[in-house]
Amino acid sequence: MGTPQLLNDVISVLLLLAPSAAMLSLVLAGVSLRREGTLTFAIGGGFTKWMFWAVVFLTLQPLLSWFTSFGVAVPLPSGGITTSWLANFQSDVSQFVSNFVVRHLVPTLAAYFLLRAVLDAASGQHPLPSILAAMFLLGTQTTYSLLQSYNTGTQYATVDVLDSLWNHLVGTIMPIAAVLALVGAILNFATRKPFLRLVAVSLAMLTVSAIWKLLTSMM
Amino acid sequence: MNLGNMSFDNGVLHLTNWLGNVIMPTLAAAFIIIAILQFSKGKEFAHSMYGALACLMVSGLTRAFETFASQAAWNNPDLYWISLVTLINWFANVILPVYAASQVAAMALRLGVFSLVHPTSGWLRHFVTAALCLMVSGLLRLAEFFVTQGTGGVT
Repeated sequence: MGTPQLLNDVISVLLLLAPSAAMLSLVLAGVSLRREGTLTFAIGGGFTKWMFWAVVFLTLQPLLSWFTSFGVAVPLPSGGITTSWLANFQSDVSQFVSNFVVRHLVPTLAAYFLLRAVLDAASGQHPLPSILAAMFLLGTQTTYSLLQSYNTGTQYATVDVLDSLWNHLVGTIMPIAAVLALVGAILNFATRKPFLRLVAVSLAMLTVSAIWKLLTSMM
Repeated sequence: MNLGNMSFDNGVLHLTNWLGNVIMPTLAAAFIIIAILQFSKGKEFAHSMYGALACLMVSGLTRAFETFASQAAWNNPDLYWISLVTLINWFANVILPVYAASQVAAMALRLGVFSLVHPTSGWLRHFVTAALCLMVSGLLRLAEFFVTQGTGGVT
């Protein structure tokens, strides 16, 4: 007996909504980046959790190919959604996410985070987490495109994307963060606060790959 | 607003450039003012003065740190240690001799202005500091020698 068409259509809807879910996960990751409240992100915290889910949603179809390797056939429906109301539902949700959430809600959220940065500074806290969260939110679309470009489409696609993301973090973001750490060290020195820690961190940020090699050579 | 052209990388990069090239030179002026006010009150002002200099040298210090961090291949497990050693060598071999010269000048000023050749007048402290700045390696070797001599333990 063949799979009922309605079931095929529901599967198609869910698969076609995966990119929208990935986009929403990125937005939630941006919000979590500020909510965790520090300059660092906690492994297992909200930011990493939502980033992970964004990658999973983005690589859902390649991930399903694992079931085939286990001997479980996963016949993915092709030919689009034939049930019209389901097709409309999928289209409406995608439009809502891309037009309402990403194009209009996200810039407003980012603007609120900027305001939060000013208020953070006024209350004696550091404004940088809110500014970084605002930047992450404004860059949601580009981050999504970046993740897409890392998708190898193989059964290891999820890990490949996470791997490439690590390389991007270490090769592109960390050297810039090293300068921020250096600026922090200078400001701490001038205001008589402990600064050597930031000097060591700045050097570490410039040599993360080597520290990784050091760690693996210790094992 | 074209969100398609906005990326987190660009945002962080431009934030860093803005901080280093616009805000830090402005803060340098603020730190110089603070240094002057602290000097007028007879308080310690060196942190503000050197901090102001460092604020003007963010780009140069960044290049220096990049040089320290690229003394070996990117996948060399010892790179972090090498970069720390290079930083310490740079400080001991480049900065401290300059500091020694400034201490000699301070000693000469003390002797010339106060004309008081007495161990407690301060000139001796500047002289000893200058000498110590020029023999960091020797002091390290001396400490290593003491430790090596003590490896046999107390008998």
